[in-house]
Amino acid sequence: MSFEPRPTVQPWARVNKSRRAEIIFAALVPLAIAIALIAFGFDRNLTLVGVFLPIQVVSASVVGYRAFGRRGVGDAALIVFVFFLASFVLVLLASVVTSLVTQGSKALSWSFVTQNNIYVSNTTSLDYGGVGHAIVGTLMIVGLTTLVTVPLGIAMAIYLTQSQSKIKNLVRTLTQAISGLPSVVAGLFVFSMVLTFSWEKSGIMGSMALLPLMLPTVARVAEEALRLVPVDLRYAALALGAPNYRAFFQVILPAAKSGIITAILLGVARIIGETAPLLLTVPINNGTSWNIFSGSIMTLPAYIYGYLSSLFSTSQNRAWGGALVLMIIVAVLFTTTRILSRPKSMKSKPTKQKASK
Amino acid sequence: MNSLAKASTLSSENISVWFGERQVLSDVNLIFPANKVTALIGPSGCGKSTFIRTLNRMHELIPGAGLAGSVFLDGEDIYGEDFDAVSVRIKIGMVFQKPNPFPTMTIRDNILSGLRLSGRKIGNADEIVETSLRRASIWNEVKDRLNDQAISLSGGQQQRLCIARSLAMNPQVLLMDEPCSALDPGSTRRIEETIKELSSSMTIVIVTHNMQQAQRVSDQTAFFLADDNTPGGVVEFGSTEQVFNGPIDQRTNDYVNGHFG
Repeated sequence: MSFEPRPTVQPWARVNKSRRAEIIFAALVPLAIAIALIAFGFDRNLTLVGVFLPIQVVSASVVGYRAFGRRGVGDAALIVFVFFLASFVLVLLASVVTSLVTQGSKALSWSFVTQNNIYVSNTTSLDYGGVGHAIVGTLMIVGLTTLVTVPLGIAMAIYLTQSQSKIKNLVRTLTQAISGLPSVVAGLFVFSMVLTFSWEKSGIMGSMALLPLMLPTVARVAEEALRLVPVDLRYAALALGAPNYRAFFQVILPAAKSGIITAILLGVARIIGETAPLLLTVPINNGTSWNIFSGSIMTLPAYIYGYLSSLFSTSQNRAWGGALVLMIIVAVLFTTTRILSRPKSMKSKPTKQKASK
Repeated sequence: MNSLAKASTLSSENISVWFGERQVLSDVNLIFPANKVTALIGPSGCGKSTFIRTLNRMHELIPGAGLAGSVFLDGEDIYGEDFDAVSVRIKIGMVFQKPNPFPTMTIRDNILSGLRLSGRKIGNADEIVETSLRRASIWNEVKDRLNDQAISLSGGQQQRLCIARSLAMNPQVLLMDEPCSALDPGSTRRIEETIKELSSSMTIVIVTHNMQQAQRVSDQTAFFLADDNTPGGVVEFGSTEQVFNGPIDQRTNDYVNGHFG
């Protein structure tokens, strides 16, 4: 008996060569039909869901059946559905981003980011005026909320993971309930306090209104992050003679660092675009204000809201520009935090392993 | 580390443990003389691991655990008024079944972590790191990469790092709860050699499921057993030689010769 290699078999290839043509055919026919129908004037969305998807499922199933028998049918259908839904979500996201970028970029310029809104009317050219004051206000109000919420949220997460108290589950349920609180209600609550105690509406009132919206997100995600830290590590620390608080701050918290940063980012993302609470509690203005403790201060959501309902096209462009700036701020915030919080081991491992060899 | 702490004699008197309503250990009386290695053997669920945890009060971390009896470290009751759990654990170190180095720390920081966690002064850090790693016989493997993350080590190396981490605390007693059960034979052999070297400077208690290991490393052996629905207890306690080669109790004989368990 001889053991000759079998050149036709390529175990690493996902698809048998002889079936490649079949697969391409099965993929192109439904597409061609759909394009033809749309070209004849059929409704695009209806064609995609009502014609393209079923034909694609059938054709993929046929190919699957020919290749693997009955089990191939289910596989093929599932693959088609998953791809279809995934592309649906991607298209949704892409269209939001492109509409933001195309509309917003008309207004976006260095002066738009740096200047404030004084002396700007509905007909002022886009070269003048901008969202500088709103960026300052948003960063300050959201920053203050974050500053207060993060310690509170982490403390709550510690309580929910470390405590053996009986009312823990009640606290967790209430936290979840608060996360379902409509933001306008949070705004109304602070607004009613302003009226009751005759406080002054100001940036700090906005921060107060945002706090109950951010807190549950931070607490719940941080709780999950702390829960993922193996209990072995806590035992190891305590067996070395650590008091509970040192074990927590030196071992458990660092091990959960990346998850806790995610918690903070999700919390910031939750509130940075909130409009209703700010409209109710923060008086708006057109100039730049660095004082969140009294007086009026502008925020990006309020800026967008104010200009979006305008009939003038330059004003609408300003609103789109503000939305684009908000999205860019979130993107920059997320990427920098992610890069800064990357675990050390991921950065140093490959080079060190080479060196040790 | 200029001088190593003296090894201490540890003894338990009438230790009984409950988890909630259920009693899991009953009247354990054992003595662990200084510089001796004691092996605790017995089938799963007989309370060995629970018992070893009572020796440095780690069982207190399990909700609902209750204890009766005393543990004496050189004649002083570690459950007495002069001790709290933290000061007990500083003197009595512990190595766990699964290697658990701190993943966020480097090898060097792992060694120093005990001193930092217990809030003690770190004198000559480099010397402490080197001495501890040498005593755990892992120095030669890691000396060039002390600043690498601890989790980049292999499982056996991680376990020896954990031993070195305990040694940096300069304990009088070292408790080991199945330290080799997750390791390959080569790493196991090295840890056994380490245990023998360490016994010259400390008292060691080791839980093991491996009969050969108990025979290789220990001076004396305690056989634990729990009959159905009764709390576990010590069936036989004596020199390793006697327990394995001339057990008095029939059940010990059956167990060490592999008839059950």
